Amino acid sequence: MSVTVRLPGALRDATGGRTKVEANGGTLADIIADIDRRHPGFRGRILDDDGKLRTYVNVYIGEDDARSQGGTEAVVPEGAEVMVIPAMAGGR
Amino acid sequence: MAREGFALPGALRERIVAHARESAPNEACGLLAGKDGVPGRAIRCTNVDETPMTRYRPDPRDLIRAFREMDDRGEDLVAIYHSHPASPAYPSPTDRAESADERGEPRYPGAVYVLISVRTDEPEIRAFRIKDDIVTELVLG
Repeated sequence: MSVTVRLPGALRDATGGRTKVEANGGTLADIIADIDRRHPGFRGRILDDDGKLRTYVNVYIGEDDARSQGGTEAVVPEGAEVMVIPAMAGGR
Repeated sequence: MAREGFALPGALRERIVAHARESAPNEACGLLAGKDGVPGRAIRCTNVDETPMTRYRPDPRDLIRAFREMDDRGEDLVAIYHSHPASPAYPSPTDRAESADERGEPRYPGAVYVLISVRTDEPEIRAFRIKDDIVTELVLG
């Protein structure tokens, strides 16, 4: 299944500067593995050593936060758009 | 070495100052999108942090929409702006910590941080780069 993955922010340097890549897979884990095959090192930028999403990395499938959809096991429908957004925050 | 400049057109300044004033006493936040490091438009985001008077976190839906649109238009994220309703327009320890990932690398490389203070009637607006926990002020032009 083909999906579009958009990478605003720092993670684009893990895909050779590309902000948009196509990927195949039925779950978020499959999609990350698919991109990692073409861009080695990508997985390590998204997932920690335990295979969980890194603290500062937020992944949205459509507008749904992947963390609330099963994390890396989240199902990604055909044609979906996945966005990987580094956490943005701050304060006084 | 000459200090780096940051061109922020008057109309954009007015827009983000207005956003900061409207949001007070909460913090306002948003993005400046543009090309070649020059901001062309301001994108307001809703601050969805649980303690919005002292912290900001843009609504993810706003960010998703904004990044998609910027990507389609061929724009870059030039700057991230936020307001300090009751403190100076200078990056706080939280701002510095939240600019980096777990390796200490910038989460948004190349993005300028624009801060607006509306603690007095006269708004204060300043621009910075934050890298390796070091804050460098840019000359606003």
